[in-house]
Amino acid sequence: MAQIIGGVGTSHVPSIGVALDKGLDGTPDWKPFFDGYEAGKAWMRAARPDVAVVIFNDHGNSFFLDRVPTFAVGVADRYRPVDEGWGRRAIPDFEGAAELSWHFVDKLVESHFDPLVCREIDVDHGLQVPMELFFGRPEAWPVKVLPIWVNTIQYPIPTPQRCWEMGKVLRAAIESFPGDERVVIMGTGGLSHQLQGRRAGFINREADLAWLDGIANDPGRYRDMSREDYVETFGSEGAELIMWLVMRAAMNPEVKLVHKHYHAPASMTGAGMVVLENA
Amino acid sequence: MTESNDIPDTPLFDRAGSIRGYRLNKMAMALGDPANRAAFKQDEAAFLDRFDLSDAEKAAVRARDWHEMVRLGGNLFFILKISAVDPVPITQIGAAQAGMAHDDFLKHRLGKT
Repeated sequence: MAQIIGGVGTSHVPSIGVALDKGLDGTPDWKPFFDGYEAGKAWMRAARPDVAVVIFNDHGNSFFLDRVPTFAVGVADRYRPVDEGWGRRAIPDFEGAAELSWHFVDKLVESHFDPLVCREIDVDHGLQVPMELFFGRPEAWPVKVLPIWVNTIQYPIPTPQRCWEMGKVLRAAIESFPGDERVVIMGTGGLSHQLQGRRAGFINREADLAWLDGIANDPGRYRDMSREDYVETFGSEGAELIMWLVMRAAMNPEVKLVHKHYHAPASMTGAGMVVLENA
Repeated sequence: MTESNDIPDTPLFDRAGSIRGYRLNKMAMALGDPANRAAFKQDEAAFLDRFDLSDAEKAAVRARDWHEMVRLGGNLFFILKISAVDPVPITQIGAAQAGMAHDDFLKHRLGKT
């Protein structure tokens, strides 16, 4: 059976991709941010995953407001980087783990989830940036991907508890998949940021640092928070952190926090990552 | 979460906002296509006319009034594409939302020195 070899949580700020495109990663503004990911990259190389499950939100690129899926799952063989307004970025296409994706869709529906199933769709920075942060800029990505989109743009967004439940199904799907794939799960988004309204620019460093430890050692606290709590604590766009819960719920109750990193601000966002292994 | 939201200065993109801003956001979404970006650059007024926008919406776009665009139901992730055609740093858009001078915003909100 396929196995989960670890879980990571990471920001997916678009300006991280822009910094890489423009070669700014060694500048004083960006170097401390990127340096902190070196340990995560080294962990990923050693972990040798075959598949990355990436939980992220679209940012008005692949989905418009004409149809807004609360949860969507990609079952494509290939995903192209979407044109977000600046042209398609010069990074490789992403090969899809289509068999595992369909198996996951089966398990979701059996478990009373009702996802949108996507056969042809592009991916935005929500998936691209985490891949670049953990796999660098290879000529071809060393893993296949299983994309899961979570609506965090238009309310109602799903509850943290529902994201947690999806993580349970994800684990069951991976562990019942007839193959020997090594799977890493990447929960993405956050940390604290707010891009709209008079409170724009809100960053909550204290809450972000507590999150990085708490998501590992006290995740029940975050599972039980309301959506309002997320918005108040982490900012309107910081509520993206609910997507890390899908990753966390797919791991054991007890995990080892192998790496963590925090830097603020990256653009207008508290940014960082954790690497978790099952204890 | 429904219509009401008690978190100060924090608009959520809810049903009302989505309905109110639909055409404005649809115009901005179109800028994901290079042909539309070229049309916008060539004749902005004619491009905006294609999307059935109100006079207030058109005026907010033409003035690059980010606070007003959001007030009219624009969602930042869509209207950001306007800054891909007419480059503006996101921190400047943030400062406009907050109603602060850019330098003050960087220092007091983002903690940059």
